[in-house]
Amino acid sequence: MQISGRRTIHLFLLPITVYLIIFFLYPVLFELYISFFDYSLGSPKKFIGIKNYLAMLKDEEFIISLRITSVFVVSAVFCQLTFGLLIAILLNHESRIMNIIRTLILIPTVFTPLVAGLVWKALLHPDLGPVTYYLRQLGINIGRGLTVERSTALFSIVMIDVWEWTPLMVIIILAGLKSLPEEPYEAGRIDGASAWHLFRYITLPLLRPTVVVALLIRTLDALKIFDIIWAITRGGPGTATTVANIRIYDVGLQHLRIGYASSLSNVLLVIGILIGVLFVNVLYSRKYGGIR
Amino acid sequence: MKKRKILLILALMVLSVSLVFAGGKKEEPAPAPEKKVEEAAKKPYEGVKMRLAAMADQFAEYMKVLTERYKAETGADIQVDILGYVELYQKMTQDYSTDTKQYDLATVDIVWSGEFAVKGWTVDLTPLIERDKAEINTNDIYPVMWAMGSWEDKQVAFPMSGYANSLIYRKDLFNDPAEKKAFMDEYGYELAPPETMSQMRDMATFFTRKDKNLYGLVANGARGPAVAQDWMEYMRSFGGQILDENGNVVIDSKECLESLKFFVDIFDKWAPPGAIGYWWDDRETAYRTGQAVMQSSWSIARAGYEDPSISKVVGKTGMAAPPKVEGKETFYGVGGWGIGINADISKERQEIAWDFIKWLTSPEVQKDWLLHDGQPIRISTVKDPELNQKMPWLPVMHKVYQNGDGDYRPRVPEYNEIQSILGLRVNQAITHELSAEEAISKAAEEIKALY
Repeated sequence: MQISGRRTIHLFLLPITVYLIIFFLYPVLFELYISFFDYSLGSPKKFIGIKNYLAMLKDEEFIISLRITSVFVVSAVFCQLTFGLLIAILLNHESRIMNIIRTLILIPTVFTPLVAGLVWKALLHPDLGPVTYYLRQLGINIGRGLTVERSTALFSIVMIDVWEWTPLMVIIILAGLKSLPEEPYEAGRIDGASAWHLFRYITLPLLRPTVVVALLIRTLDALKIFDIIWAITRGGPGTATTVANIRIYDVGLQHLRIGYASSLSNVLLVIGILIGVLFVNVLYSRKYGGIR
Repeated sequence: MKKRKILLILALMVLSVSLVFAGGKKEEPAPAPEKKVEEAAKKPYEGVKMRLAAMADQFAEYMKVLTERYKAETGADIQVDILGYVELYQKMTQDYSTDTKQYDLATVDIVWSGEFAVKGWTVDLTPLIERDKAEINTNDIYPVMWAMGSWEDKQVAFPMSGYANSLIYRKDLFNDPAEKKAFMDEYGYELAPPETMSQMRDMATFFTRKDKNLYGLVANGARGPAVAQDWMEYMRSFGGQILDENGNVVIDSKECLESLKFFVDIFDKWAPPGAIGYWWDDRETAYRTGQAVMQSSWSIARAGYEDPSISKVVGKTGMAAPPKVEGKETFYGVGGWGIGINADISKERQEIAWDFIKWLTSPEVQKDWLLHDGQPIRISTVKDPELNQKMPWLPVMHKVYQNGDGDYRPRVPEYNEIQSILGLRVNQAITHELSAEEAISKAAEEIKALY
């Protein structure tokens, strides 16, 4: 049997193409299409042009939600990168105990975010949560509770996200560390470089592509945050944890305004694409020591 | 060989496409009439399978027992899926609007009546009720219960479980002579379950002893339906309304503002610290663990206070009609769940579903239902001497049902959006993101924009 010819190749590509058209292209195009309609579930569609897009400029809650999303993404990803880098360097030694630790550290990432959210909801319960209890015993002022005070609710969501996803960062960076060539280090040592210099001028630049990929994955993922917040605060108290996806969910599935919710989703999609393009440019840019 | 490959690929494509369109549920046919006649003597609906989406309230678990009984009697196998409040609404609206017939029957919140009627999602039961009114004995059902499913001239759900809004309080503390004396010394009148909102304020203040982890009054604070619905109970006690009799938005009234200020005080002064994030179950837990002395609650939770496996206040609970603001004649809040039939299913299946509804709400099943965490709709159930002996709080429920208002949460088609607006704005008031005035004004502006 010989597989040859463009027709055969196309034939093999056909199932995945059909799959992508049905599950990816069609929903995206349909979403784009209905974003130009005043469409509520159970009512007929009415074409309104770009009115949905104009309405969001006055949608105070959506604007607030974009701001909260930015704060969440920047702080969560920054903490995950910092902790991820530090832990990866700590674990970058070969011994039996390190192997065990490297496996154990992945546990939080295995949790479904919704389950992680529910577990943390119980742990941080303002009256009955064990974490709340010990924080109060330590004399730390957490007000009425970390998840119910406006000043700390977003912080607690960031903390949970960092707990869950730092291990992923660790594993990606650790894989990058393992693949670094030994020669530059040897040259550095011969030239009398200190451990800090080796890290700053050899490890970090060589790790850059790995870090950029890890940042891209986590940034896009953090932009989509929904489940942890839904399980714990549902966007409250007030609008303190109303990220863009919570607002979109409210509009689409609580108010059933599918047309307007689609236009909001499209804005989030464009933001995601822009972030993706930016990271890919950094990854491939020579100016930033990229891989091209 | 090449042909085989092509066939394999085509098979995969068919599989993918079939997966895409596999969302809907194939409607199982009701048994053929001839077959029905043959087996009529035994089980008329043998082989019929149906699905019921039930709200995850206290009654839900026993619903499974009741459907088993119904199956034993009629042969119809009704699978009960228990869903949370938000999930139930979403699942049903999606099922109804996309005609996927996932569920034949579903519990319908009193406040969804208008929306379901206008959109034609559930069967209008009016002709069936008229046809079978002797069998149903409609006179035995409290008039207020019909609010569970009625909208204009339609009845899109049948009353199933009527909740009486009531004041729940710790009678052991209210009857304690030392507490009575201390209260008399401080406030100059006798300590008794509050009948007015100012008495409630005094008693909530009196019983709040944070150093002893005791809090005078608790309510739901979590953003969403929890805070919206709890606030509306206080709004009604203050004589406020969201919409007036003519459908005008009147939330920006003095009464509504006063009630919101009182509601903010609950969280600032009298409730456990975490109440600001409470859902119904959290609020009930705060009461059952002895943390809270008073709460405005639904009668569905009453039996649970006497269950030692979940309650630390067994034998210590009193129940009274909710207090009202001085000088205002207000009705008591009535809520609860009706049960509706999916309008998309076949007439034959609708008849079987209707038979189940009649059976479930019959006097005999209602009595069993009330003994197992259900709530009544029938006067005869509430007046039943045996039940009264086991549940001495039934006369309070009777009083609430007789003077009940099922409309203080407006059962209009736009209810869900109104609730969503209030869920945010009231939550912003209690977390001081907005002042009470700002919250009311923004809510009024947004609700007016819906019309």
